[in-house]
Amino acid sequence: MRIRANLFWAVIAIIVGVIVLLGYFFTNPTLTSLRELLLRWGALLAAGAIFLGLFNLFTVHWNKVNDQSEGWPYSAILIFFFLVTLVLGIIFGPDFEVLILFFNYVQLPIEAAMMALLAVTLVVGGFRIVSQRRDVFSAIFIASALLILFGNSPMLLGGSQEFTRLISIVRDWISQVWSVGGARGIILGVALGAAATGMRVLFGADRPYGD
Amino acid sequence: MIEGSLLGLLLLLLFGGLIIGFTFLGDYWPAGLRRLRGYEELGLALERAVEAGERVHLSLGTRSLIGLEGAPALAGLTVLAQIAASTAMSDKPVVVSTGDGVLTVLAQDTLHAAYKKVGAEASYHPISSRMLGPTPFSYSAGIPSLLSNEEVSVHVLNGSFGAEGALTIDFGVRSQAFVLAGTDDVQSQALFYGTADHPLIGEELFAGGAYLGEGEVHKASLRAQDIVRILIIVAILLGTLLKTFGVLD
Repeated sequence: MRIRANLFWAVIAIIVGVIVLLGYFFTNPTLTSLRELLLRWGALLAAGAIFLGLFNLFTVHWNKVNDQSEGWPYSAILIFFFLVTLVLGIIFGPDFEVLILFFNYVQLPIEAAMMALLAVTLVVGGFRIVSQRRDVFSAIFIASALLILFGNSPMLLGGSQEFTRLISIVRDWISQVWSVGGARGIILGVALGAAATGMRVLFGADRPYGD
Repeated sequence: MIEGSLLGLLLLLLFGGLIIGFTFLGDYWPAGLRRLRGYEELGLALERAVEAGERVHLSLGTRSLIGLEGAPALAGLTVLAQIAASTAMSDKPVVVSTGDGVLTVLAQDTLHAAYKKVGAEASYHPISSRMLGPTPFSYSAGIPSLLSNEEVSVHVLNGSFGAEGALTIDFGVRSQAFVLAGTDDVQSQALFYGTADHPLIGEELFAGGAYLGEGEVHKASLRAQDIVRILIIVAILLGTLLKTFGVLD
């Protein structure tokens, strides 16, 4: 009985997947409207799943506060603001000025600070490569990064105008020839990998909706 | 039907046919996989984590399943099934984090199915799959407390990340965890190369199922990818030559 239920869900998923896929290749009005209907259902379900995700987030932090586990005050603050923004949003709508204030003066600066932290992270990562991962590819990676860096700000190196021009030419050659070529190769690999993953789901070999 | 669409459909049919063909040929003509140090080391790291009673964390990305960024997360769910099965007997089962509600639900289903398959349903807990934050950086901000509270020693990123992925990796490196990380975003892959111990480049992100022994169809899809890749490269070279010699406009 269980196998039949699994088979049922797999067949539903495969049929929906095939209809949506064929809708990209054929311009039949029935197929197109069916595809759009299924995609709308998908978007609706995804919107519903956001609530499940937020409920999950709330539960995790509620449990942390309840168990008084390490860092529970942070979870308590999260729960407080979670409820405040939820209630204000439901009552006054998303354009309510207090919510916009929260977004502009709390969330945005914190996220911007984390973005800034990324620059430090990358410098530390660069040093880690030099000290721990000493191979040809790492050497090429670091050399390219330095050349692009100095190519964008040649005054860091000083030197004559001729030298600055040479560095700029090398930077352009790396970023417009080697880098673009490499990136296209990687994109091709990613596209094929994504297509293969989609195919496996379409064949029912991968069943992310559970067995 | 448009001409380009016909070509796309034919290519997909060829791709699908190759996957099915190689799946059935797998028993008679086994696939040889090239060495990927990241996945090899992951197997050892998982064993060490189980023996030491430490936890494995898998991140499925900060982006949604809906849209073009969905495929890496689907590949991540396959890796999750394997990791859950191989760590099911641990005192501390795997914990999964996402930045999307749909993925949180799918990860719960995958975990449940994987534990059921190996007869360890007691290891399943719904909050083993967590949505850390709905925006990329709020997700990253939740990582340090997860890594320290759950005593994570293996930190795997298999999903779609932007620049915030590098921060997520760095938190793992700082907590001295084993870090294996891949994303579909090309620019972020450069950041991952600079920060992760074991970065996954390009299609390596989608090869987890084949390397972790998920089944013959995963190896077959790698073979199919190689053949389609060669065909595309030949087409590009041919197009370049024809254009150079003025045969094509």
